Amino acid sequence: MSVRNLTADKLLWETLGRWKRSSPELDRIQFLKTVPFFDRLSNRQLKSVSDIMFERKYDANESIFEEGQPGAALFLILDGKVAVEIFRETSTTRLAVLEKGAFFGEMALLDDTPRSATARALERTRTLALYRNDLRGLVHRDAKTACRIYRSLAGMIADRLRLTNELVQMKTPTDDVGSG
Amino acid sequence: MSNGQEFEEIEQERKARRKVFYLTFAALVLIVGGFLIWKLSILILPIIVGALLAFVFRPVKERFRVRWLPHQIQVLCSFAAIGLVLFFAFNTLRKHIPDEEQKLEFKVRLKYKLNEKYRQLVAKPAEEKSNAVAPLIEKELGPLMDKFNQSLELNPEERDLFLKYAAGHNGKPPIQGKFVDYFRANQRMRKYVILEKAPTGAAEPTRTVAPAPAEPGAATEGPSFENKLSAWMLAPLIFIFLGFDNGQIRRFFIGLVPNRYFELSLTVVDRLDDAIGNYLRGTLIECFLVGVTLALGLILLGIPAGVAVAIAVVSGLLNAIPFVGTAIALVIGLGYALVAENIRPLIPGLNPNDLALYVVILVVITHVLDDVVFQPFVLGSAVNVHPLAVVIAIISGSLIMGLWGMLFAIPTVVVIKTAVATFFEELKDYRII
Repeated sequence: MSVRNLTADKLLWETLGRWKRSSPELDRIQFLKTVPFFDRLSNRQLKSVSDIMFERKYDANESIFEEGQPGAALFLILDGKVAVEIFRETSTTRLAVLEKGAFFGEMALLDDTPRSATARALERTRTLALYRNDLRGLVHRDAKTACRIYRSLAGMIADRLRLTNELVQMKTPTDDVGSG
Repeated sequence: MSNGQEFEEIEQERKARRKVFYLTFAALVLIVGGFLIWKLSILILPIIVGALLAFVFRPVKERFRVRWLPHQIQVLCSFAAIGLVLFFAFNTLRKHIPDEEQKLEFKVRLKYKLNEKYRQLVAKPAEEKSNAVAPLIEKELGPLMDKFNQSLELNPEERDLFLKYAAGHNGKPPIQGKFVDYFRANQRMRKYVILEKAPTGAAEPTRTVAPAPAEPGAATEGPSFENKLSAWMLAPLIFIFLGFDNGQIRRFFIGLVPNRYFELSLTVVDRLDDAIGNYLRGTLIECFLVGVTLALGLILLGIPAGVAVAIAVVSGLLNAIPFVGTAIALVIGLGYALVAENIRPLIPGLNPNDLALYVVILVVITHVLDDVVFQPFVLGSAVNVHPLAVVIAIISGSLIMGLWGMLFAIPTVVVIKTAVATFFEELKDYRII
């Protein structure tokens, strides 16, 4: 980290510490620090991200987004529980139940392809939403921060791909591969 | 009754209550909003102008986004840059704005030259006595020329001032002798309609042309000048406050949107912002290109650079009004061409006496360039509005708000068209309709 960034960070935290000891802004930054998606970001960078996030409140059973809708934002759970489900003709499969600190809908940060699952609040839930185009805007204003977020996203997608490959390999008999 | 059922019932009741509350609130907002718009209609235009300026200049603010610089300083830097550019532009333009003496001189020249051209047009050489066109022109144009002459007539104070300047006034050198001759010729000028109707040898015919009627109630109707001035003070204030906005306004309004439409509203607002921003900035660039083309063309035709730039600035700005802008450019250019003297075109082979014709050709070329090159280049096909819609919008705009209405007609159509199209498209994508 350059000297200029360190100075800016110090100034920011001194100001925040002096004036906003228990402000929602500071709480939010503290929360973001705990999310693995943003673990590469400095405090100043977290402040930049926090500034472009939207806080949303959902009631129990309220849909956050539905399968097939175009995705526009990533969601982080501030508190509450969210179920990720897929609906097929007659049944509903629950893929996961996410809790505080978890995030979902991250693919929407890349493009507006339809959501692959439905996200529904299981209880009263507060989320932070990061809109795709706001992140794109951050590329122009603070390229380093945006770059780190995209890097986290790429790392996560790579992990998932690796996992999928392993699953495919486990399910595919080895002799089938060479028999073709 | 189980706990689950009870909870469901409570939730249903809450939803019904919420619906009633929202409907009542919306009705209240509509009534109060409508009343305020009706009562404070004088503020609408300054607010729109201030907001549009902030919107147009937003990219300048974005240029000053330096991550280690506080937002307020960034905005102040962008304001300073805009202010500096505007200051130099106005300062340059101010040098070409005619002073009191030049205005008087121009009025005298315009009146003399217009009448000279008119007399040349209706003059009947001996061999063309049977020409039936000239009397017809005289009959049709005579009253019009009288009206022109009346509007260009110097009042007694202006006449005294002109004579003072003619002899040298305020430390300025005397006005050229030929302009003084024009002034005297103008003083001797008579009304064309009266001359035609008058019996032969009538020395001083009685006045038949009624004086221009005073505008009825012009002073009593509408808001006073002070009110208008204080309302227009809002425009720069809105510009400044929107300049300092760091997305808070957008966040506030998105915060009001129900969860179901959250992502939809983000997408719609973003697309609208893109479409309108591109259109407005594109139009500004288009006006600039038209202005530059006209300025270069007029300079090549031999018109002094200062005058050429002044005509180009006015015509370029008015180019934002489709069709009308071109017509106004033609009128201004022709107006100057008719009074211009000692013109030496930079293009060899051009006859200075045909300046008016060259100006017409220049305006036509600029219009074609605008249609074929500038518009597709800077605006693309992002916002296509049917020509008929353009005409109807401009006429409607002029009926509602005059010149300002004409200027804002097309941006309004673009906003409505983009908003409706994007909104319905997204509603379908989000499976809401």
